[in-house]
Amino acid sequence: MEELEREYHKILSDYIKDQNERNLYIGQNFVRQLIRRNVAPEDVVSLHKEAVEEIFPEEIEGLRTAYDFLIEMMVHYGMALREHQSLIQKQAELQIEMNIAANVQKTMLQTTIPTSEQVEIGMVSTPLKTVNGDYVHFIEDDRYVGVAVTDVVGKGVPAALCMSMVKYGLETMRDSGHTPSRVLSVLNRIVEQNVDDSMFISMFYGCYVPRANKFYYGSAGHEPAFLYRAQEDKFYDLEANGILLGIIPTAEYIDNEVVLHKDDMVIVVTDGVTEFRQGDDIDERGVVASLINDVKHLAPQQICEYLYRELEELHEFNLRDDFTVVVIKKR
Amino acid sequence: MAKQTSVEIVTEWDIVAARQLGRNEAKALGFGTVDQARITTAISELARNIYLYARVGRIDIERLDEDGKQGILIVASDKGAGIEDVRKVLEDGYSTSGGLGAGLPGVKRLMDSMDIVSKSGEGTTITITKWLR
Amino acid sequence: MDMKVYFKEDDNVLRGYVEGEIDAYTAPQLRDGLEAVEVTEGLNIEVDLTNVSYIDSTGLGIFVAFYKRVQREGGNVRLTGLSERIKHLFKITGLSELMNIEGEKKVKLS
Repeated sequence: MEELEREYHKILSDYIKDQNERNLYIGQNFVRQLIRRNVAPEDVVSLHKEAVEEIFPEEIEGLRTAYDFLIEMMVHYGMALREHQSLIQKQAELQIEMNIAANVQKTMLQTTIPTSEQVEIGMVSTPLKTVNGDYVHFIEDDRYVGVAVTDVVGKGVPAALCMSMVKYGLETMRDSGHTPSRVLSVLNRIVEQNVDDSMFISMFYGCYVPRANKFYYGSAGHEPAFLYRAQEDKFYDLEANGILLGIIPTAEYIDNEVVLHKDDMVIVVTDGVTEFRQGDDIDERGVVASLINDVKHLAPQQICEYLYRELEELHEFNLRDDFTVVVIKKR
Repeated sequence: MAKQTSVEIVTEWDIVAARQLGRNEAKALGFGTVDQARITTAISELARNIYLYARVGRIDIERLDEDGKQGILIVASDKGAGIEDVRKVLEDGYSTSGGLGAGLPGVKRLMDSMDIVSKSGEGTTITITKWLR
Repeated sequence: MDMKVYFKEDDNVLRGYVEGEIDAYTAPQLRDGLEAVEVTEGLNIEVDLTNVSYIDSTGLGIFVAFYKRVQREGGNVRLTGLSERIKHLFKITGLSELMNIEGEKKVKLS
């Protein structure tokens, strides 16, 4: 502290003498040093007071109490400042943990887009924050190719924790993967038993069965998928009734089916794709369908990427939810 | 240990009385202006916590003299609701939530040491000290 | 945007009023407001959502949790004044099958 006092005294007297930018620049560097050494605001005022006392011994009398007053005020200021600094540091630590969590999530929940002679599949799933509240998982065996698109309520970390449960639930059901109603009701029981009342998951589960040339699907409170009929050049909603996973332990789900013809597409989305939030009068699903229509001749992966780019632009690069789209195109 | 003095905290103006007592003691012990300000602010925070959340309580101030080292010891005690998780109130950011124990991390930084004993439903005793350098 | 929630007791019906947008930021406020409700056996609760312009999934979760608690504790809860948009949300999620909901009162324009 004494060394600082001497230094400050010199800087201040130099400035009083010359009043030039060079003095001020030296002062600025001195402040950097104070910050580095974690000197409290009240100590800075005290430094100043003592320097003034030495430089103007005759005039200090009346000012001393004014400086003391400022020191008192600054103690409280300093308390707030230090708490703020400590919170910033804590936040940086949390950010590091979040990034690790996101990486763990990525690795743990990795899914491979299946390749099939009958259907071609593309996917984009982009989180709003570090961790994704949407989750896509593919399962397949020699009878079917299945896809689950989920949206876990509540974003961020709690949602991510929930997802690994969904993944392992799905993995244990490879044998029933061609029956959406069974997949959904089993998952519903798992979720219901393991999460609290305000947490739930919406899921669209669909599977293509080559032998029947049919796409079977079911929904647990999820946004309807789109069906594009190439021959008619028209879009339809694949509606399916069913309650969100995790609310009623005994919930039942229904199997629905459609036959797919060449170039027909099933497009599964989460509400991050179709929800525009602003404006009641916008036909959101219509906008999405017409965007897909513009590029329907492209490969599914390109269609997904196009849709993401266009909607991102439409929302002025300020999407408000996790964004997931899966396109399944009949070859 | 020698002289002990105390202030009962019942009304908001008792916070001022506690400050005054702390100031006198700190000054008499020879603390400099900045440390006087820190000690008084710490007392003020503790007294205010009592006034706002426990309604009544007291501040006791003692002068310390150990192995030739001199210092000040302040005990803030109440029979209020108590602090459920002492560790939590010592975390920064807690003060923004308001409630009992707000601002304690800041008080701790102003002093050399702080000790909290609290039992849910029975009250809280916070002891802080600062040594003369 | 802000969110408000308050309750009034009236003819043995506890009427709640929620106003604003319910999203991840305002949802904790809604949760606190609803958690503060003391449910007694047979209590009828009506929550008016006429002035709610938006609900996201977090908000939905809070209503589900509230619904489950009221059921458990022997009360009844009804959500009223849902806009078309919000009604649609309850329909898609299957919650309209479970919960007692009612759309906006049609007001005739003179």
